[in-house]
Amino acid sequence: MPFIALIKKEIFRFSSIWVQTILGPLATALLYQLIFGHQLSSVSTGVAHINYATFLIPGLVIMQVLLNSFGNSSSSLIQSKYTGNIIFILMAPISSRSIYSAYLLSSIIRGLVVGAAVYLGIVWFGAFELQHLWAVLYFAFMGAAITAGLGMIAGIVCEKFDQLAGFQSFVMVPLIYLSGIFFNIQHFSPFWKKLAMLDPFLYIVDGFRYGFIGAANFDIMYGALFVLIFAIIANGIGFGLLKRGIKF
Amino acid sequence: MYALEINNVSKVYDNKFTALDDVSFKLTSGDFVGLLGVNGAGKTTLISAISGISSYHGQIKVMGIDLKKNLVAAKKNMGIVPQEIAFDPFTTVYQTLKLQSGLYGVKNNKSWLDEVIVWMHLEDKIDANTRSLSGGMKRRLMVAQALVHKPPLIILDEPTAGVDVEIRKNLWDFIAGLHQQGHTILLTTHYLEEVEKFCNHIVMIDKGKVIARSSKEELNLKANGMPTIFEVETKDGLFLDELRSLLISTENNKYTLRLANNDQMMLVLNQLMAGGIKIENMNISKPKLEDIFLNYLGH
Repeated sequence: MPFIALIKKEIFRFSSIWVQTILGPLATALLYQLIFGHQLSSVSTGVAHINYATFLIPGLVIMQVLLNSFGNSSSSLIQSKYTGNIIFILMAPISSRSIYSAYLLSSIIRGLVVGAAVYLGIVWFGAFELQHLWAVLYFAFMGAAITAGLGMIAGIVCEKFDQLAGFQSFVMVPLIYLSGIFFNIQHFSPFWKKLAMLDPFLYIVDGFRYGFIGAANFDIMYGALFVLIFAIIANGIGFGLLKRGIKF
Repeated sequence: MYALEINNVSKVYDNKFTALDDVSFKLTSGDFVGLLGVNGAGKTTLISAISGISSYHGQIKVMGIDLKKNLVAAKKNMGIVPQEIAFDPFTTVYQTLKLQSGLYGVKNNKSWLDEVIVWMHLEDKIDANTRSLSGGMKRRLMVAQALVHKPPLIILDEPTAGVDVEIRKNLWDFIAGLHQQGHTILLTTHYLEEVEKFCNHIVMIDKGKVIARSSKEELNLKANGMPTIFEVETKDGLFLDELRSLLISTENNKYTLRLANNDQMMLVLNQLMAGGIKIENMNISKPKLEDIFLNYLGH
């Protein structure tokens, strides 16, 4: 089945460079955990009985899920455009829907695989019991779906690697850093707090962390609905762009 | 049954440039058709439209299937070798072909892949990463990729560009073999001798329009009506004054004449013999496909 073949191709791609795609994010998360978790151990998390090292773990895990899902679809597309190899996918008897779904699913898989690896690598620094597994799985999946969709948009629109790097630096990184990965946004100043509340990633991080520590800043169902809507919008735009055609 | 039908296909880009202007032609199953045109004539745009990558106005049917109605089914019936070199930098030669087979929904085709690999002279490279291949090898791999699903229609856009002479010959033997097995082939190439040798039909395209479309026999007839170069070597270097206006060059006893067509050549021969000129040697250069092509272009 061509759809499965394309997913296999994508999984083969990111697993063949596992040092970059899996080990790299794990090392980054470990460094963040070691430096921030240790140096900022006295910082209040705003949640009773949860120290900063524990608070940080879900944030670092979901950050890598979001970044790697985005990185998979965007870099795969732009690399295929650069080498011209995308033509063999576009000429193959696969519908746009199947192409999009295959890229989306394989990007979600990469995000979740990296997230799981990071979790296993840094869970030892915290002290908690998983509170709501459904929330962990739901927000991780939806978060990966959103950033995979954004990666599709970037991969289709960008024509050069530097344009993609710009998208990552000026869109993805600010959205991620404002989303409360490192701090509880209740500690932000009013201006930054208002700004952060416009960030869709905030609700992903809040819901994902809720799954681990059982406490959230926002109504969890409201957050779940919001990320679902955002995932539909991001992927709707991505699919529309793919259907319109890829320039290469 | 037509393997490929192009009906009134046009393509106008956003900047109003007309790349294809009401192009129509058909390939009957088993045809080997050469698509000729100078750079920028619209050949690759047409192939992009056939492959489903580029939008167009008009109708394209592959094995009777309208691309606009069932693109996926139509694509299953064709294999396309694109002009630009393209490769997957993460895979080996064999992995590339296996993955490509998967994209066409083909399983258990190892024996066919092995056969194609041997024909493409890639057997020593099956485990080599595609990044390590030379340009010619990458192009041969692209041909192999287009063939993984044994498509009835094969479209080759400059398949031998950058391929050395020996491999080019092997590649053509393989493609000729595919044609003999019943595959329909549409070819663009700058090597007109390849078109002359293999194709039974020729379509000429210029500025997005089809300017000629005929069988090779029809083109040969056309060639008979085109200027012919006639070289004649006479005994003692004698020649007729009344024929000197036709001369292009003279060297010792050898006279080179440009004649309007084959009929004029017969008249000149008769005149020479009637004038008592003894001919020792003669040579006729018939117009080549290139001459016919340039003639159509008005050069």
